[in-house]
Formats: sequence, C-alpha cells, structure tokens
Amino acid sequence: MTAPAEALLWVLVLEDLLAPEGLEGLDEADLDDALSRLLAPLEARVDASTQPTVVAWTAWRPQSAIASARRPSSWSRAARRLEALLYRLAAQRPALHLLDLDAALAADGVEAAFDARNFYAAGCRFSRKGLARLAAAVEPVLQRIAAAPKKVLALDCDGVLWGDVVGEVGVGRILLGGDGLGRAHRDVQRAARRLSQAGTLLALASKNNAADVWEVFDRHPDMALTRDDIAAWRIDWTEKAANLMEMAKDLDLGLDSFVFLDDNPFEREKMRLALPQVTTLEPPADVTAWPGFIDSLDLFARFDSTPEDAAKAQQYRSRAAFADARRGATDETSFLGGLEMEAQSAALDATGLARAEQLAAKTNQYNLRNARHTAAELAALAASPNTIAFLTRLKDRYGDHGAVGLTIARIAGDVAFLDSFLMSCRVLGRHLEAWILSRLAVQLRDRGVRWLFAEFRDSGRNAVAGAVLTAHGFAPWRGADGDARRQALAGLSPIDGELYLVDLDTLIIPHLDLFNAARS
Amino acid sequence: MPPGPDLDSRLRALLQQQFPSATIPAATSLAVGGFPEWDSLGHYNYLLLVEETFDVRFSMEEMAELKGLDQIAAAVASRGREGP
Repeated sequence: MTAPAEALLWVLVLEDLLAPEGLEGLDEADLDDALSRLLAPLEARVDASTQPTVVAWTAWRPQSAIASARRPSSWSRAARRLEALLYRLAAQRPALHLLDLDAALAADGVEAAFDARNFYAAGCRFSRKGLARLAAAVEPVLQRIAAAPKKVLALDCDGVLWGDVVGEVGVGRILLGGDGLGRAHRDVQRAARRLSQAGTLLALASKNNAADVWEVFDRHPDMALTRDDIAAWRIDWTEKAANLMEMAKDLDLGLDSFVFLDDNPFEREKMRLALPQVTTLEPPADVTAWPGFIDSLDLFARFDSTPEDAAKAQQYRSRAAFADARRGATDETSFLGGLEMEAQSAALDATGLARAEQLAAKTNQYNLRNARHTAAELAALAASPNTIAFLTRLKDRYGDHGAVGLTIARIAGDVAFLDSFLMSCRVLGRHLEAWILSRLAVQLRDRGVRWLFAEFRDSGRNAVAGAVLTAHGFAPWRGADGDARRQALAGLSPIDGELYLVDLDTLIIPHLDLFNAARS
Repeated sequence: MPPGPDLDSRLRALLQQQFPSATIPAATSLAVGGFPEWDSLGHYNYLLLVEETFDVRFSMEEMAELKGLDQIAAAVASRGREGP
C-alpha cells in the first residue's frame, strides 16, 4: 500500500470560531461575511502551500430540537453557510480537502465523541473515542491523495448477489428481492451498481455453471445488475485466483487494482494466499450489513467522479467483451471478420493535435521509433507540404475506440521515411496496422513515392511493432553511401536504429477484407 | 483497599504505550516531568488512556490534581477497578 500523503490537518470546530450568541437577525450575506473573514487564513495557507490541506470541520453543538422545528435555528443556518463556503473554497483549490466530521462522528454518536470536561480541562472538544474516530476518518483521505482508487470489484454470485445456490435450487428459488434476506441481496447488487456508475468495473468470479448464472441475469425480475454492468467474468469450476489473473489480462489491469468479495471464508483465504496483491474484503458475517459495508468502502471512492470515468469504464467493458469473444471463436479470421470493424483516417489538423501528442507520448509497445513529438512539433509536421500525417479511428461492434493510431511520413522525391507509426495497445490483434499501411501506401503513391524507409528503434518493449515491417514486405536495408535513396533519406532524418525498406510496388497488405467500408 | 504492585506495573506499561520512544525510569515515585517526553499535553493523553483502560472517569478536579503514578493508582483503586 502506498504511504499516505503528508498534509496539514486543521480541525475546525465552528463554535471555537463563531460565538453562537448574536447570530439571531444576521442574514445569509452577514453570515457569509463573518465566516469568510474567519476562513481567510485558511485560504491564504492553502494558496501559499504546496502540501495538501485537510480541514476536518464540525458544527455540532448542543441544541434543543424544538428550536429548529419550525425554521432552521440561527446556529443551523451558520453551520450550513460554513459548509457552503468551505466547498466553494475547495472547488477552486485542488489541494484543499474537506472532512465532514459530524458525519464521521455520528458512527459513535456525538455524546461519545465530544467531552466537555476535556474542553474545560485541556481545550480539546473531543473524547478519546472522538479523537480515534477523527484519525480514522482522515486516514483514507490522505491515502487517496497519495494513491489512485481500486478499479475492479470481483464478485462471487451465490451468497453475494443472491442467497442460496442457483445450481441447486434453480432461478425461481434463489433469495433475491421481496422481503428479508432477498431484499438485502438486491441491495448488495444496487450498491455494486452505484460503484459501477461511478466508474468502478464489476467482474464476476463464480464457481457455477455459466448458463445458470446468466439465466438469473436474464430472467430474474429482481436483478438490479444487468449483463451490461459486468466488465469481465469467469464462471466455471477453475480456482478463482487463476480466473482473476485471466480477467486482469482481459482488462489489461494489474491485480493490485482488484478487490474480491466472496461470502465463503475458505475462498477468501485461498485468494489471500494465492494473490496477496488482490484486496480480499472481510465482509460482516450478517448479509443485512453488506449494502452499508459496500457503500462505506474507501477503496473505490474518488474525490471527483467525472464523465470520463464512466466513459473509461465503458472502454474497459468493450475490451473485456472483445477478449471474451475471442476466446470463444475457434477461427481467428472468422472472429475478426465478425467484428464489423470500420477504420477511418483523417489528416492531422488542429483538432487532433492533443490526441496525437498523447499517443506519441504514451504508446510504448506498438511504436516503431518512439519519437515523442510535442504538440508544437506535430503542428509543424502537419503543416509541412512534404509530410503526410494522419490519425486513424476505429469502430467495431464493441464500441468506438476513438483515434488509436498516428502515422507520419516525410517525403523527398520518390523516397519517404516513416517518421511515426504507432497504435494504441487497446486495438492490437485486429490487423489495423495493415489497413493503416494501405492508406499510407495510397497517399504516398499519389505523391509519386516508390521507396518507403522505416526505422526500428528497439526500446525493449516494442518488438511487436518491429514484427509488422517484415510481415508486410519490408526488408533490412544496407544500401551503399552512393545510393541516391540514401542521400534523400539523409535529408529526412538521422538514423540510429535498424533501417528497413520496401518498394511500394511490391508492398504486401493482407487482411484488408476484415474492414467494412474502409474510407480515407 | 490500597493499590497493589500489580496496578503500579500496569500503569507503567500504559506510560510506555503513551510514550513509546521514552526510557521510563525505575524510580518508585514517578510523576509528570519524570522523563523529558512526559509533558502536560502527554500527561493529559495519558490520563485519558488510563480512563479508557480501567473504564473509569476522573473529575475535572482530578484531571488537574493527578500528577503522579501513586495518586493515579489510588484514584483507580478507590473505584474498585484495579483488576484486569
């Protein structure tokens, strides 16, 4: 586990800042004025510091319930203004984190959390129990500042998503929905669904007949989860640890981003032993406590949940569906043919620069030369009359993968040099490189180019990209210094890797039939 | 009932728990300031730890008056809570 971040912790007790008397008659603007003045030092500190600041704030003080039975009491109004102002400050300052202490202390109750004797004897409002609760509430916030949330919740089915064993009692007799335990299991599903909607991937790791589990998903009226909520699954009689490893591969995520929930202590223990890097949850013994247990997990919680998180989750689901279908297909060509792939290339222009720069910076495997062009360099290349530069987008039946390839070729006479040829690893294994090469070849021939040079710079991680050259007719080239093509090449780029050359008239491009309605 | 030697050793163990890096002297009558780490804030936290461990609660006055292990032991024993 990553060490928690270091931060300044400010425990803000509203009553220490603002006297409760004299508030009657103040309107919202007066309260905001007064509170803003009190918070000014905090604002200054956060702005001046490079360290995160955590403000644990409480507005609790003893009050009669009657005083706020008809309208908010003056104290309650002040408390709400404090909350609003703090969140307004935090919205503008990413280093500021807020901790609603009253919510955290409610777990023990305020009577146990506060201690007036400690206040009068030593100036501390809290009891020992309250202080322990305060520390326990701050810790996960510091953790999250330092480390990203977990990405995948792998769920057992029988005993978790529903009660009883579906393979034994059948879909109609499992405990799901209705009253009692069935309702608790349904709420476990709803809690998992909330996680999924916030960007956590859900996976199934179940020892079952797959058909039984999917029958529950498809036919049980009280299922809160649907097939679409599940990003990866292994429903068979294999050990769950092996299945988690496979799902990690499908999703291209590390096992340390997995969290495992199973009602069977034996399965949990086996998982802890086999894969200690997976976080195996220890749920309460009583299933009725599980929905609350899942809702209060810190492991997946984020400071902000953005639309990008949800989109990212959708991409992972597409990816896993692809890997799963691939396992099921006996013949690779018929599988790829069934993907309904549609590729499209667009000349690099201002709208594509940010994505192109990102691809150039982040692509490590399918990258011939690892030329890490900046946006400014890319803009200059795109504007040059002697350059062909385009982005390739790919869609298939599993979704729109967006711009996944960047291709740049520099031209001098009838010679061209492949400056950049890179593809996101998300779309490897689809022969998209063949389609891209064919688009490039067409454009080069239109410009009168016959000879295409490519350089392979071995980075230790990009062997997969090197293999594409020989697979498409490129051959290692050691042409003499006097060769006119070498003169032309020298003007295009310095070469320090392995040099390859192809005659565009003999370029081999297989697999193009896999792509629907290929357009440039 | 006067406090026994067992209570004294438990209070010393709690002192070590409250001040984990301190070297606690073997002196018979030990009190606040008896070693550098044992300052007034640390002492207050120590009294809270004693309260929690023996399930007792000291009054405001006691919090101010209980300075030495002998006094604290007597206050715990007077509540009949010295047992484990």
